[in-house]
Amino acid sequence: MSAASVTVLPRRTPPTILVAEGDIRIRYRVSDELRAWGFKVLEAGSAPEALTVLDAVPVDLLILALDLPGDGGWDVVRHIRERPAPTKMILTSGETDPPAGLEPFVQKPYQAAEVAGLVARSLNWPPAQA
Amino acid sequence: MSTSSTHLSAEADTALQTILVVEDEVLIRLVIAEYLRECGYRVHEAVNAEEAILILQAPEVSVDIVFSDVEMPGDMDGFGLARWIRANMPETQVILTSGAERSADIAGTLCEAGPLMEKPYHTQDVVDRIKQLKATAKRF
Repeated sequence: MSAASVTVLPRRTPPTILVAEGDIRIRYRVSDELRAWGFKVLEAGSAPEALTVLDAVPVDLLILALDLPGDGGWDVVRHIRERPAPTKMILTSGETDPPAGLEPFVQKPYQAAEVAGLVARSLNWPPAQA
Repeated sequence: MSTSSTHLSAEADTALQTILVVEDEVLIRLVIAEYLRECGYRVHEAVNAEEAILILQAPEVSVDIVFSDVEMPGDMDGFGLARWIRANMPETQVILTSGAERSADIAGTLCEAGPLMEKPYHTQDVVDRIKQLKATAKRF
């Protein structure tokens, strides 16, 4: 095969999503849904786990439950907002009103597909065909 | 058998299997879970035995193998989880691990592509492995 006959199609690496959620039943359902949409998904069950992952791995978007044990969710929000290049966030909670800020907020209970759709729109995923 | 046919055979073996990784060290859990997904397994993650049981009891989830650390925080350790599974879900296989090196070694045997990382490894090796995964993904 000659080099001239090879067509290289543009491809994008799937965005990496970190799901930080203390309720395992919510965490695995939304993670599974996001994987079905083609995202690379990492999971954290607490604020310390989320911060550890954020310090070690480039994350394109964080789905953050504000009602992580203690004030954990807000600790992560403060950590993110102090960064020079804050990671995109989608905030969720079953206990609080929409928090002040620019981040999208989803009230629990929610459908996993609803959050996956919001993530996809936020990251323009999948990319439009050339 | 050629290398390519061995690889195809491994993919066929893993296509329908679901593994539940139970590990409280998030970076170790992340690396092992991602590695097993790359090998073709469907993987769920749990931070401790209590979370593992909630996943195992979910009607929409069917787990073939539970891959669990022995030392975990909470009321139930890996041995307790294994006993619970034997009593309630005897058809589910359990692999107990103790220590990161052992976990990586056994994950390597589940995935025929080879060992997860060279032994011995330390925490920094786990971070390096994550960076390798990221670099690999960027080449696509």
